[in-house]
Amino acid sequence: MKLGDGIFAREVVPWLAVVFWIAVVLFVLVELVSSDFGAAVQGFIQGAFGGRRLAYLMTTLSRAALITGMALSVMLSFRAGLFNIGGEGQLVAGGLVAALVAVLVPGPPLLILALSILAAMAAGAAWALLAGALQLYVGVPLLVGSLLLNYPIRYIASYLVAHPYRDVASGMVQSHLVPQATWLPYFPGTRLDIGILFIVVAAIFAVAYSHTTVHGYQSRMNGLSPDFARTVGLPVNRLALQTLAMSGAIAGLVGAIAVFGIHHRYIDGMLVQPLYAWTGIIAVLLVGMIPWLVPISGFFFAAIQTGAAGMERTAGVPKEIALVVQAVIILLVASRVSGALLSSSDRKAGGGGDA
Amino acid sequence: MHAALHDIRVTFGSLTAVDGVSIDIEAGGIHAIVGENGAGKSTLMNVLFGLVKPDAGRIEIDGEPRGWASPQEAIASGLGMVHQHFMLQDEMTVLENIVLCAEPISRFGFVDFSGARRKLAQGFSEHGIAIDLDAIVGQLAVGQRQVVEILKMLYRDARLLILDEPTAVLTPQEKDRLFAILRSFAAAGKSVVIITHKLDEVMEIADHVSVMRGGRLISSGLLGGTSKERIAREIIGGDLPPPLKPQPREPGAVVLSVANLTIASRAGHVGPLSFEVRAGEIVGIAGVSGNGQAELVQALTGLRKPAGGTILLAGRDVAALDVAGRRPARMSYIPEDRPRMGLALGATVAENANAGREDRAGFAAGPFLRRRAMADFARDLIRRYNIRVGGPAARASTMSGGNKQKLVVGRELTRATPLIVAENPTWGVDIGAIDFIHGELMRMRDAGHAVLLVSTELDEVMALSDRILVMFEGTIAGEVSGGEATRERLGSLMTSRTGARAA
Amino acid sequence: MLDLLFDPSFFASVPRFVTPILLAALGGALCERAGVFNIALEGFLLAGAFAAVLGSWFAGSAYAGALAAMIGGILMGLVFAEFNLRRGGDAIVVSIAINLLAAGLTTYLLRAIFNVTGAFNDAGIVGFKAIHLPGIAAIPFLGPLLSGQTILFYVALAMVPLLHMFFARHRLGLRMRATGENPAALQAGGVSPKRVQLWALVGCGALCGLGGAQLSIANVNLFVENMSAGRGWIAVVAVLLTRGRPWPLFAIAVIFGVVDSLSFRVQGLGMPQQFTDMMPYLATPIVLTALSWWRRRSAQ
Repeated sequence: MKLGDGIFAREVVPWLAVVFWIAVVLFVLVELVSSDFGAAVQGFIQGAFGGRRLAYLMTTLSRAALITGMALSVMLSFRAGLFNIGGEGQLVAGGLVAALVAVLVPGPPLLILALSILAAMAAGAAWALLAGALQLYVGVPLLVGSLLLNYPIRYIASYLVAHPYRDVASGMVQSHLVPQATWLPYFPGTRLDIGILFIVVAAIFAVAYSHTTVHGYQSRMNGLSPDFARTVGLPVNRLALQTLAMSGAIAGLVGAIAVFGIHHRYIDGMLVQPLYAWTGIIAVLLVGMIPWLVPISGFFFAAIQTGAAGMERTAGVPKEIALVVQAVIILLVASRVSGALLSSSDRKAGGGGDA
Repeated sequence: MHAALHDIRVTFGSLTAVDGVSIDIEAGGIHAIVGENGAGKSTLMNVLFGLVKPDAGRIEIDGEPRGWASPQEAIASGLGMVHQHFMLQDEMTVLENIVLCAEPISRFGFVDFSGARRKLAQGFSEHGIAIDLDAIVGQLAVGQRQVVEILKMLYRDARLLILDEPTAVLTPQEKDRLFAILRSFAAAGKSVVIITHKLDEVMEIADHVSVMRGGRLISSGLLGGTSKERIAREIIGGDLPPPLKPQPREPGAVVLSVANLTIASRAGHVGPLSFEVRAGEIVGIAGVSGNGQAELVQALTGLRKPAGGTILLAGRDVAALDVAGRRPARMSYIPEDRPRMGLALGATVAENANAGREDRAGFAAGPFLRRRAMADFARDLIRRYNIRVGGPAARASTMSGGNKQKLVVGRELTRATPLIVAENPTWGVDIGAIDFIHGELMRMRDAGHAVLLVSTELDEVMALSDRILVMFEGTIAGEVSGGEATRERLGSLMTSRTGARAA
Repeated sequence: MLDLLFDPSFFASVPRFVTPILLAALGGALCERAGVFNIALEGFLLAGAFAAVLGSWFAGSAYAGALAAMIGGILMGLVFAEFNLRRGGDAIVVSIAINLLAAGLTTYLLRAIFNVTGAFNDAGIVGFKAIHLPGIAAIPFLGPLLSGQTILFYVALAMVPLLHMFFARHRLGLRMRATGENPAALQAGGVSPKRVQLWALVGCGALCGLGGAQLSIANVNLFVENMSAGRGWIAVVAVLLTRGRPWPLFAIAVIFGVVDSLSFRVQGLGMPQQFTDMMPYLATPIVLTALSWWRRRSAQ
């Protein structure tokens, strides 16, 4: 088979090149900390997929669920042509509200759980709508507005669990534990909470919405060509706001899952430090917004992150190596997904059809 | 500069754009190359200018065989070309645009603007050109923008200037100014080549005429040695077909009534405009592009909010409504910029065909799409309008320009709304599709719909319209009935305004 | 309380906060005018801050640190150029990747080279000294603002009119404006827009690098993980708001710098840290709302 042309050269070789460069980067970085490359690789595999009774694999899956959830949230916005990069803020809003509602509101646990989740989704939706309103009524481009709003909510949440709602006895900056009866149960025999099922449901919803509903179809048309959507009379502003609300709601849901499934309270920075929202964005971009590939992408990045933690535990390689590897992957793959999304004219005008 | 092209042949895939053409361009004269769209004129000149590499043939400049690897080499050798679409930086000044890429530099790479001004001043007085070097190009009228393009060539000491369809966007006054400049160039010994399809102008300005048809050179010689009729026949290769004359009809009730409509625009405001369109008639809006037609169409369709006035559509004042408020059951719109506004190129034909449909039951059940119904609808359109495409699931981007337009036309016309707004509906479309679209518009008119045809193609407006309104500088300069319309009458309206407008 | 806020030491502190934002924004302006949608200023700044400490520590001089900072920034710019200009990757995607890369790499190298986590605070880091201008220092209000700052502040100030002149009168500046506006026309004229954009990225990297140096070796001499702390994003907002025009950029950078230093001050007065951290980010939508309201008013 000639190496110069044909399917092999066009499709397979570029991916091999990506893998090659990742390996080189990894090698160089690991050498830099004078670590044993073999031990590092071992630590990675263990950290991502192994552990006693596959505990680490469960962690990876749990993390993958959160990343995939954020990826779905972002995907809905991007496919509608909306540059909503405020997922982090929407996530925090949801997590905070979920924890506070569960802690403060008395009642039967199942009801509280449902209420908290709904409140979290509403909070996420509201935060996203705020960015949308900033664009519609004040003219702040969505890209800027959604980005800026990430910060105030982060600080508000931090303040609330540092002072008024702090669990002082615990000595850490966090809220009280949510009622034990509201904790999401684990899958039998594992330490993986069933939150991942919520994400699966959300994923099915997102795909079905996009391809089988009128609203999803109109949103996609608007995403492909806002000028066309306006000319043909699609209600572009209403579509934009509704899509943002959906994105925010999914992000809020992810926050709620993190609270009820993993941490069982709101800890300062628990949703921001692991970079769930940003990883979600790059997970979507990596697979060019093809819906059924998003969970795989989410798992892939989750594995990189947990594997890196394993590398640090076993071989002393700083876990920030994960950030570097993820960045390199995106850079190498960025050129292959170019054109899939964004054209500069939309960005300059602030997205959503203004010109 | 004397340029000669010998046996030039250019093919694009299976299409032969230029077939063995040899042509001589003399120094110090104006040479017109005429022919219909697609005759190969632009391609031939692109070869001379170095934009296209010929498959065969050679170029000689002043007797020396030359070849260019890029237009930059051609420019450096003294050629210049002004294309139909200007290559200008709208937010920069005239002077900056002229020197860009050929900047005179002084210390540290700073541009010597005063030196450039001096050089240009010379050219101004020599050729009678007047322009404000510090004006922002984006704010200039089209004729002035063209002058900037010409000055670019002058600044680079071009000795052979090629202009591709230079008068397409000019008012008659601007055209006169241009021709005066060109004659001055010729008198100074420069060679000027004009690519055009406008016979009247050829008769007015050219010294030499070459006619091309289907990629071949039909004739080439002094203007004095031929006649307008002969050139016309050579262009079409036969006699002109009889013009399409609409069947006279009694128009019905008023469908669209516009009163004192004013619209804010970049150059000031458009209007006040008042006119009516009745059922069963085609009202054409003629005029050179840039006289307010675009703003009028945007205000009518709802894409832009008018500053004042009323728009009564099927009895309802819609001036305050947006597009979504006006379209249902009242209005269809065939936009000029169809890749951007008429279609979503990344979507399938079926998705494009069903966008903007009011009859939700036809393509949806509750909140869900009925994909089969959507595909059937698209298939129906494809069949009825003879659209050449792979099928309802094919991407819209795979269609050719003419078929894209047919899809847009089909989608809009099947809605059978009382009012149809068609904006340059055949611009850039091949001949076969042009006739088809014209036929469809006539059919809608005969079936009792009101059609507002906004077009910069005078022939199209004259052929289809029952009544013609001419727009000039944002107002309606005059109205002419279809039967009495002549190019002269319309042309004079396009250059003056009746009704006082504050000076 | 008002006089507490507006005493001379407050004025003296404002330039410290303005400088990194201004330098990064000026760098961003080069990219903006040249049509490169670079929102990786945060990453550029962080890389510069780390490189400054590297250079200063290894060579024992602040100027070496500044040079290293510029090189660090330029390297980031070249990475951007490789994946966006040469390989055609989308600018937003590349920007996100570079921000991640800078965050990860600087923290990683902090461990690898200096063997510390969190912050690196070492006597070996040589910082810039304050420059006192005796005549100017005596002026009320402006005195403490203009005198006693590090050289980077004065460089930043000088860059504003310099960049303005660059865009207005320099060949490369003209070409950058043309690239951002109508690259096809530039290409038709025989100049490669990508080449011009490459220069814009290099210039951006150098300026952002200097901004990073201001963060790490100008008033404090240390490197903290993720030291840029959102200032790069504020610079991005400033660039987008002003479309890269140097003098409006200067005004916006000053406003943001004042807010930033105000929040720092107010912290000392007992307000919870989170509120003061929030201030620049709240200030921006408020400023934008006010601007749009004002624009609408004047259009009537």
